[in-house]
Amino acid sequence: MGKLIINECAKLFRRTGTWVMFAIVIIMILGIGAFLKYGEVNNPPQVNPAWEQELAMQLEADRAALEETGQNNATLRMFYEREIAVKEYQLEKDLAPETGVTLWSLMSEAQAVIGIIGVFTIIIAAGMVASEFSWGTVKLLLIRPIKRSKILLSKYLTVLLFGGLMLTVLYTVSALVGLVLFGMPEQARPYLAFADGEVVERSMFIQLIYNYLLSSIDVLMLATMAFMISAVFRNSSLAIGLSLFLMFMGGTGTMLLASKFDWAKYVLFANTNLTVYFDGVPPVEGMTLAFSIIMLLIYFVVFHLLAFFVFAKRDVAA
Amino acid sequence: MSAVLTLDHVKKVIGGKTIINGLSFSVREGEVFGFLGPNGAGKTTTIRMIVGLMDISEGDIVICGKSIKNDFTGAIKEIGAIVENPEMYKFLTGYQNLLQYARMHDGITKEKIREVIELVGLTDRIHDKVKKYSLGMRQRLGLAQCLLHDPKLLILDEPTNGLDPAGIREIRDHLRMLTRERGMSVIVSSHLLSEMELMCDRIAIIQNGELIDVQTINEFTEQATAAFAFETGSLGDAATWLKSDWNALMMEEGFSVEITREQVPVLIKKLTAEGIDLYGVKAVAKTLEDRFLEVTTK
Repeated sequence: MGKLIINECAKLFRRTGTWVMFAIVIIMILGIGAFLKYGEVNNPPQVNPAWEQELAMQLEADRAALEETGQNNATLRMFYEREIAVKEYQLEKDLAPETGVTLWSLMSEAQAVIGIIGVFTIIIAAGMVASEFSWGTVKLLLIRPIKRSKILLSKYLTVLLFGGLMLTVLYTVSALVGLVLFGMPEQARPYLAFADGEVVERSMFIQLIYNYLLSSIDVLMLATMAFMISAVFRNSSLAIGLSLFLMFMGGTGTMLLASKFDWAKYVLFANTNLTVYFDGVPPVEGMTLAFSIIMLLIYFVVFHLLAFFVFAKRDVAA
Repeated sequence: MSAVLTLDHVKKVIGGKTIINGLSFSVREGEVFGFLGPNGAGKTTTIRMIVGLMDISEGDIVICGKSIKNDFTGAIKEIGAIVENPEMYKFLTGYQNLLQYARMHDGITKEKIREVIELVGLTDRIHDKVKKYSLGMRQRLGLAQCLLHDPKLLILDEPTNGLDPAGIREIRDHLRMLTRERGMSVIVSSHLLSEMELMCDRIAIIQNGELIDVQTINEFTEQATAAFAFETGSLGDAATWLKSDWNALMMEEGFSVEITREQVPVLIKKLTAEGIDLYGVKAVAKTLEDRFLEVTTK
């Protein structure tokens, strides 16, 4: 299996297009960095002396909202309880909210680039099987003493490797650019996470990795879908087109559906954004983290079964 | 001699249409086996089934005792093949392409790769990108790719396609060498019949998915009656009896006739007795092509 993955990586990284994708990601990070730096130079940050009063007022408003709407909506109640707990903790420990631009703001802004990484990963996934057919090389690839399913698996793992590498590049390059432009914050500011009814302090580095991975779930699912379409229909344009369309429209469409029908919760895109369970509201009332994870697993398995079954069985006539 | 490849009543049905209908033949060790047939006869489909790119609807294909159906990895190890054009990764160099395939077989050393490159004569250009290769060089790289794992059976679909005469000769010499010295068996499909005549030991002719005949090249050509061209002066009245008795075909400077060797002096004597000027007699050997057309248009 190792050698097959080396083969796939050789094919991937010996193409200029792949390097252009990495260059685009790095340029985008630099752009975000420059934009933030420009903002910082023009409006130097000021410490708000009255932050405690302001926070206390917000806390009051949250409590009132909890009283009003929290009674009949379980998810909204969770949301406000979290907000209240975090704000109380801040007041208690005298943690002023961040005002200046830091390394962390760049790294967290850079999460927007995950969307671009998603597009690239979909393009790579869509080409994985379909290109072998359009190049005609599939005939020489499949007459080796290796089962077809193993070849397909090595291709899928290479897609994951590519996506993971892109995320790592995004994370490390944005950290480096942040360090160069803004320096290390003087005091390590923890992230306040709300888990099991109490507030815990978490390292910002760890929290960001966490966020990056959570926001990559829809990328993973769409890349898997693109890979499946590519293996089943052997057509990369179809795989790219359909996956990108769903990537941009799937979320919005599902939200529209979710406002009218309960069954929208079974749609893939209602479940891809897991961050709603940590700081937001799920699209359909009553959805839980466990439900979404099970739905995602079901979709994942179905995509793979389709891809492997069709690819291993069908005649190669290209 | 033992059979390296055996097709046993192989059938292929695609969408309710029978493409290959009960094909059976076997290829012996160390022979070059030609696979002949007009376009659409099912040559490529048969080759795709032999290498496992297509499923077999009925029957079985056995390579060195291993069924491609039930023991794919075991059977395919013994095969090196080019199916249709040797399509390679154009953005990789020739060497990187060979590395791709080397990694998919067990125990192929750098030494072996170098040896194969030398054999096909690509040493000078092997580190160039394949997109810069000529068609002939791609054919040679395709051949190199087949030979890496020392297969027992080589399958070449149209190996001389797009090659210049020198290249064709080279491929032919390679094939001779591989069969003689290494005991490999080779299946060659081609529509260039004159090529087949020079390359193959035996040929199978298929048409409409059915086997018409398997013959050695010698049998195949010998069975054809020879034709002789007579270059003569004015024939005059003789033309009438030549046409009726000898079934002669009139030409600008004489006629041609299909007769056996023994009948030639008989006809010459007859012509001289009639006072017809005879300038020359030439044997027109029937080519494989004529024979092929004869067989397939029956």
